[in-house]
Amino acid sequence: MGEALRVEGLSKRFGGVQALSEVSFCVQTGERLAIIGPNGAGKTTLFNLISGQLPVTAGRIYFFGREITNLAVYRRAHLGLARSFQITSLFLNLSVLENTLLTLYGTRPSRYQMLRSIYADRQILAKAREVIEETLLWEKRDWPVKNISYGEQRRLEIGLTLAAGPKLLLLDEPSNGLTSAESAGIVKMINQLGKKMTVLIVAHDMDLVFGVAERIIVLHYGQIISIGRPEEIQADPRVKEIYMGIGEGAESA
Amino acid sequence: MLKKVRGAYLVEAILLNLLNGISYGMVLFLIASGMSIVMGIMGITNLAHGALYMVGAYVGWTIAVQYDLSFWLAALLGGLGAGLVGFLIERGFLRHLYKQPNEQVLLTFGFVYVLTNLCIWVWGGRFRTQFTDPALAGFVNFAGLSYPAARVEIILIGLVLAAGLWWLQEKTRIGAIVRAGMDDKEMTMGLGINLERVAMLVFFLASFIAGFAGVIGAQLLGVNSMMGTDMLLLALIVIIVGGVGSIQGALFGGILIGVVDALGKAFFPGLAMFTMYLAMIIILLVKPSGLMGREL
Amino acid sequence: MAESRPEPRRWFRHGQLIQFIPLLSAGIVLIVLPVFLPSHLQIVMTKFLIFALFAISFDLIFGYAGLLSLGHAAYFGAGGYTVAVLMLRYDINSFWIGVLLGLFSAALVAALFGLIVLRVSGLYFLLLTFALGQLLYSVAWNWKWLNSPGMQGIAGLSFPDLGFLPVSWNNLNFYYFVLLFFALSYFILRKITNSPFGHALVGIREGEARMQSLGYHTWLYKYLAFVIAGTFAGLAGIFFAYHNRMIAPGHFGVTTSFLPMAMAIIGGSGTLFGPVIGAAMIVFVEYFASIVTPDRWPLILGSIFVLSIMYVRDGIGVYLSRLGKKVSYLWGKH
Repeated sequence: MGEALRVEGLSKRFGGVQALSEVSFCVQTGERLAIIGPNGAGKTTLFNLISGQLPVTAGRIYFFGREITNLAVYRRAHLGLARSFQITSLFLNLSVLENTLLTLYGTRPSRYQMLRSIYADRQILAKAREVIEETLLWEKRDWPVKNISYGEQRRLEIGLTLAAGPKLLLLDEPSNGLTSAESAGIVKMINQLGKKMTVLIVAHDMDLVFGVAERIIVLHYGQIISIGRPEEIQADPRVKEIYMGIGEGAESA
Repeated sequence: MLKKVRGAYLVEAILLNLLNGISYGMVLFLIASGMSIVMGIMGITNLAHGALYMVGAYVGWTIAVQYDLSFWLAALLGGLGAGLVGFLIERGFLRHLYKQPNEQVLLTFGFVYVLTNLCIWVWGGRFRTQFTDPALAGFVNFAGLSYPAARVEIILIGLVLAAGLWWLQEKTRIGAIVRAGMDDKEMTMGLGINLERVAMLVFFLASFIAGFAGVIGAQLLGVNSMMGTDMLLLALIVIIVGGVGSIQGALFGGILIGVVDALGKAFFPGLAMFTMYLAMIIILLVKPSGLMGREL
Repeated sequence: MAESRPEPRRWFRHGQLIQFIPLLSAGIVLIVLPVFLPSHLQIVMTKFLIFALFAISFDLIFGYAGLLSLGHAAYFGAGGYTVAVLMLRYDINSFWIGVLLGLFSAALVAALFGLIVLRVSGLYFLLLTFALGQLLYSVAWNWKWLNSPGMQGIAGLSFPDLGFLPVSWNNLNFYYFVLLFFALSYFILRKITNSPFGHALVGIREGEARMQSLGYHTWLYKYLAFVIAGTFAGLAGIFFAYHNRMIAPGHFGVTTSFLPMAMAIIGGSGTLFGPVIGAAMIVFVEYFASIVTPDRWPLILGSIFVLSIMYVRDGIGVYLSRLGKKVSYLWGKH
């Protein structure tokens, strides 16, 4: 057990806007940490810095003890960092199976293979089948992703973030646009992940947050307002003040 | 080369070539400005823009040389001709590919082929020599130098057009709409402004300027059927250097490229053709949005 | 009954024979037909093969990786000019030396240009590839060493010398020679596009950011595809030089770069057979159109291209293959 992720003095500036200031926290291996806050608080920006989509303005990021602050996005995937996106980023024109295969090959050396068919590796095909069946989409494996329902897409996307066996999972609004039944499914899935998996979630859905989180960070205008266990956060008057709706189970639209 | 030009003559040579570069650069500005505006506002990369220049040049040649009419009439009709063709391309084809920028680019490239061949069909493939208004065929004298009047006129026209476009962009309502549209299309449309109408007007204007530039430029470059691609490349280089969607950028880029080309040809004749390409490649690699452009 | 792997594509159930009809008929046309054609049509068939190769090399970066390059002829020209210069300046007509050096120079140019153009994307990529192609055009026009005395370009090329294989060339056996290399190239490119690498290119086209977050070094994929595509374009250029008897600066330029693009789009990009069909259409229509109106061909080509973009978006080849799938599906139902 140790630190899966450590973030020190992280700041991000866009032109005149300070999106994040001096954000520091660490996440233990196996921990479930939720990041909440009003719209525009900087939650997705924080994720973008950690996964590498955006460069930091200041600060450092450590992944299992190794500094990754300036490491290229694709390298972070190989270290074991996986991320889902707020807006579905799946390849809409490609089939469920193709999406899955691309995800699986991403961290394997055979991704550079030019002379064998992508379907030739039985092992990877078997793993793909496993992943797809997990998301209950096997019947639709040849369907272009744009043709499956939104809920199925979200399920697939999250299923795919697990496919490569990451060590740290970043889930950005995983229940966005899902029904409460579907959201409950997400909660169940996250709770079934083993103790080796560290999970960071950005969410508005309080049922999701309280169903999963062991610790919560509250962000507001790019700064951490409060960190603590769910009960502590619920009781914190500062949090109540800036983010009305805590405790009332505010659902995302 | 430099050794041959000594003393005071060096200064004179530099000055002359500088002016040559600036006048040539003005022509480049004229072509590039229209294309850059269309790119910036409508997000359309119109690769046929060079062909529109060519159409204007050929029409102008017909009026000024074949029918021996006023050069300025030729410039006007050249602009109108190109404007009409541009208008038809936009209305008949580009409009239907509104959401598909890749297809638009490809389509306009197909039109380069079509327009080039049409011009060859109508006007034949021979190169046409430079022509100008007879009144401008002479020289003006200043600072002990004798300089072609036509080039002076080109520089003046370039400045006037630059000023006019700048005024349009900064000081008029249309300009404001266009700038707003560049920044946020949806919002502008949401405010009830008929952006489509404005876009159509802008495209026509840009095409008109291209055709007009064709006639003005013919004073230096003549007219030929390779201009569809040659002028396209030049316009693109200027836009890359100066930045997309910026009139000041097109002016600055045009003059820069023109001067680099002229000085290069004068003092390093062997390398002349490379200086332009090199300038463009370097700028693109160092500052991809161009010297004055917005991030694309 | 539990399956141990994803079931094979459904069409196997309908009888494997149906799916092989297109391949079989293509084989018959390509292998058998030329014997019965008059000599001038055999020449056209060879030209078709050369441009089909050029077109599929373009489609690797355009249809698969999603990179629109307006300067693909740079590599075509590099290959062609290499064999031309070998003959002109060094009196070397050996095919083996020619193809080796030609492929090498095409790959080299692609490797160099790739480093430059892949630093930018979208519009700037388009412009840079265009400019670099025109740059080579300019070099070929101005540099005396690359020109036969008294003209633009290099003329007087002939069929290559096969060294240990004594062969007296005629249009028919040269055709088969080109067909051999075409088939080999098609086979290799088929392997590449079916591979994890090939699928990754498609992924990059569909969503580069996501591909990166999945662990793909996307720049490297694009670069490798660029160099591979350039090499095959160079091979096409080599055969073109032999076939055309001359090579000119224009073969580096944008009017030549347009051809594989038009063929890929008209035939259907993103598939390997699409550009081949597009090449067939364009080469043969050009041949017959030239009999009637030799000067108006670019106009016809441009118009077909424009109409194709407007109305047959996915390309005629893809459209035909969909038709074929429908037919085979219906057939299988009985």
